[in-house]
Amino acid sequence: MPKHVISPREVAAKESRGILRRAIRLALDTESAAVRHNTRSFNLNRYRTTATMSNYDALKDEARRIKEHALANRATLVQRLSESVVRNGGHFFFARDAQEARQYIQDVCKRHRVRSLVKGKSMTSEEIHLNGALEHDGIRVVETDLAEFILQAADEQPSHIIAPAIHYSRERITALFRRKFQTDLPLDTGEDLTRFARERLREEFLAADAGITGANLVSADCGSLLLVESEANIRLTCIAPPLHIALSGLEKVVPSRREFAPFIELLAASATGQPLTSYTSVIQPPLAVPVVDFRGVGQATREFHLVILDNGREALAQDAQLKEALYCIRCSACLNSCANFQVLGGHGFGGATYSGGIGATWEAATTGQLKLARFSDLCTGCSRCVTQCPVRIDIPALNVELRSRLNNLVPLSLAARAMHLLLGASPAEHASAQQTFFAHYDRVASLGTVFAPLSNFFLKVPGARWFLEKSLGIDRRRHLAPFPKKTWVDMSADEEPEKPDALRSPAVLVLADVFTNYGAPERGRDALRCLRAAGVRLHLTKSLPDGRAALSQGMIETARAQAEALSKYLTAENATERPLLVVEPSVLAMILREYRKLLPPEPFAKLQTSTHDLVQFLARHLAEQRSDPRAIFDARKFAPGPRVFYHAHCQQRAVSDPSITVDFLRRLGFEVTCSQVECCGMAGSFGYKKDFYDVSQAVSEELVEQWKAAESEKGPHTLLASGVSCIEQLQYATGRAVLHPVELLATLL
Amino acid sequence: MMHNTDGQSEPVNLVSPALQSHLDQFREQVSATGATMELVARSPDAVRHAVLARASAKRPILIAEPRYLSPDYFRPLRLEEGVLANPNAADCRSAPVGVTEAFAAVVRTGSVCVDIGAGIAGYVSLLPRLHIVVVDIDRLVFRAADIFRLEQFARPAFQRNFVFISGPSATADMGPLVRGVHGPHEIHIVVLC
Repeated sequence: MPKHVISPREVAAKESRGILRRAIRLALDTESAAVRHNTRSFNLNRYRTTATMSNYDALKDEARRIKEHALANRATLVQRLSESVVRNGGHFFFARDAQEARQYIQDVCKRHRVRSLVKGKSMTSEEIHLNGALEHDGIRVVETDLAEFILQAADEQPSHIIAPAIHYSRERITALFRRKFQTDLPLDTGEDLTRFARERLREEFLAADAGITGANLVSADCGSLLLVESEANIRLTCIAPPLHIALSGLEKVVPSRREFAPFIELLAASATGQPLTSYTSVIQPPLAVPVVDFRGVGQATREFHLVILDNGREALAQDAQLKEALYCIRCSACLNSCANFQVLGGHGFGGATYSGGIGATWEAATTGQLKLARFSDLCTGCSRCVTQCPVRIDIPALNVELRSRLNNLVPLSLAARAMHLLLGASPAEHASAQQTFFAHYDRVASLGTVFAPLSNFFLKVPGARWFLEKSLGIDRRRHLAPFPKKTWVDMSADEEPEKPDALRSPAVLVLADVFTNYGAPERGRDALRCLRAAGVRLHLTKSLPDGRAALSQGMIETARAQAEALSKYLTAENATERPLLVVEPSVLAMILREYRKLLPPEPFAKLQTSTHDLVQFLARHLAEQRSDPRAIFDARKFAPGPRVFYHAHCQQRAVSDPSITVDFLRRLGFEVTCSQVECCGMAGSFGYKKDFYDVSQAVSEELVEQWKAAESEKGPHTLLASGVSCIEQLQYATGRAVLHPVELLATLL
Repeated sequence: MMHNTDGQSEPVNLVSPALQSHLDQFREQVSATGATMELVARSPDAVRHAVLARASAKRPILIAEPRYLSPDYFRPLRLEEGVLANPNAADCRSAPVGVTEAFAAVVRTGSVCVDIGAGIAGYVSLLPRLHIVVVDIDRLVFRAADIFRLEQFARPAFQRNFVFISGPSATADMGPLVRGVHGPHEIHIVVLC
């Protein structure tokens, strides 16, 4: 148990690595179990529901288009909205910052002599710290969303964008309510707790002088609000009190309520995985319905105020690299599909208001403080959220950009300068010694290989791991693979010296990616053996860095330079005219996805068409031969048996369909069980870093559990994974050998 | 003959196979949201009977005047003891049952669309623990997006203020899923056919 109990508020603003480390400690020690359970259930429900939506992709495209158009036309739309609200009989206010928004709302409340008000859940009101300001004026502020009700009682910041108290288990809520409300009423089930809160809050609703809500979207043409909820507290907040104030960011404004349609269908499905949540309201306040006199103060007339907030959004909209964040519809699909978020929640992986990978940009933009985006380090770039976002935001790219800006915020330390020098890194691009080390994996590895006996001897010297932890923050519990005496390229040159078929033009090029070349040369050799056995004429390229390692450390310019050099080399090798096959999935995804942002359109498009996953290419190639692939690869020859447990690489799943590999293995006679986790937790260098070792281990637990479950149900399974870091993670976690699919196939030859 | 949720035969019109398939899907989705539904004949007496059966002994029953259905449908119901069409604040606070119409129902989501922009439908569909909602089968649309697109819903009256209701109010904030929070705990949909 920790000596000092860390409170969430203490570590909400993560302006330093120290606070980030303490926040991770808090999350793993006290909040992880509830967060895991709740996010994973949202996640599964979303997969289940979106799979039944035949128009899912079309809806996402439509939503994205609407957001792009609306943001590009924000000034006109806000102007039109202000006119619509006034035409409807409401009041409109544009707040440039949090202070202006608070002041306006405080003034309205003063004019109406508001003594108590009810609030629907509004992240935007959290962002401007509204409650404190109103309470300072002597107003009783009652949060009515049950999650916000819990947080108000506990004085904590939200830990999730749609379920702000997702870190609370039922047991912890019971303990909190007992302590806070000093009651003897039964509080031991979800029903008890809900009844308790409902009865307390019903009286608050009916006695309130004002109601404050946010909005999911606002339409410029007629001043309509879209409000999505399940508890009915927002409906009550809008209708019971005579005064309604709605607060919304300027990015929520769309041209007309017709544009609500795709979002209504996408929002609930992406959020909780329900076709729709209990209530989706489309209202144009002030409502033309009578105010029922619950307060016993006589007849009252309705009044409506809409506050549209800038607070950093305008600047964000003008930031070419980060403006995509403004398309966010706050559904939480990215949080729930994030392996790190699943074990941490937003108190570890989040700021004072916004959480998860998308939250870092929001936190920086709305506070104006880049350093508060520090928690973006918890985004490993695994890219699982990319395919889940209903407006297709490239969240990993946002976090790489933030990392780059954070790196350049501070001057190079002495150690970092030495590392830059040692590895020949560009001094123009700042990064810590650790980041520079991981970003230049190719140079570290090539040096290590050149001095292989010596460098491997160093790794085994007592104290070497301690030294690496102290100097580079590489966790001493991690095992560093020894440097090979021969790289993949060396081996290949030895094995295939000027074969006769080299005279004929090879059918495919195989990319000697740096991770396989230095980290797993035998795997590379196996890949070539498999291709040759299938009759594929091939040529292995030189081993050039692709930029993945640099990009993951936020060294964007280094990554761009490497991407350009590789692309130039491949063009010269005529790689874009014939298939380019890649073994390592993180490199495959780098070329197919990340190069879009790093290369000019034409070379990117060419590479995108020619680049393939090696195993999937092999599967297709054999299928086209129309012969039984078991003639070459017969699972019956695999002594350990046909059962395999396969974990597909996270980034690979963003660019290709892992079921192609799985189907291929099944055709060969393997019985394949697939992992159902988003990421193994290693994610390149992430799991090696001392600061994140525990997060990485926590993430891997579920994967190991699933493998154990498969074994206890059906017997022993051979572990199979496609990424160099997934294999390392699984070996470390299980103590078993883990094979890459090509290594499995090569055993059958 | 159609069957209601209790499996009892009811004297309602036959529907086309295409509509039948939509109805089946609607029923399935309604049940997934935690609500119930039944088909009844298009007659004021059938509506009265369905509402009173579902409300059993609970009184008072609040009722919001229909704007899309013919007011005739609620007329016999209004004459019943304990049925209030002009409730005061105390009635609104404590009534256990509310009856409204819906101007549309959505097959794919099991939702009903209730206009809350006039009269007391906003309260009647929200405050009582049991909400009974009456909708004509002709108003069944397939997708939620259809409400914004189909010509029949484009009239200003529909456009102003409405809510898609998909099951009783619910929360997962207190641990397990709990149905019945600030809004109704039960929703019963009466489909006129």
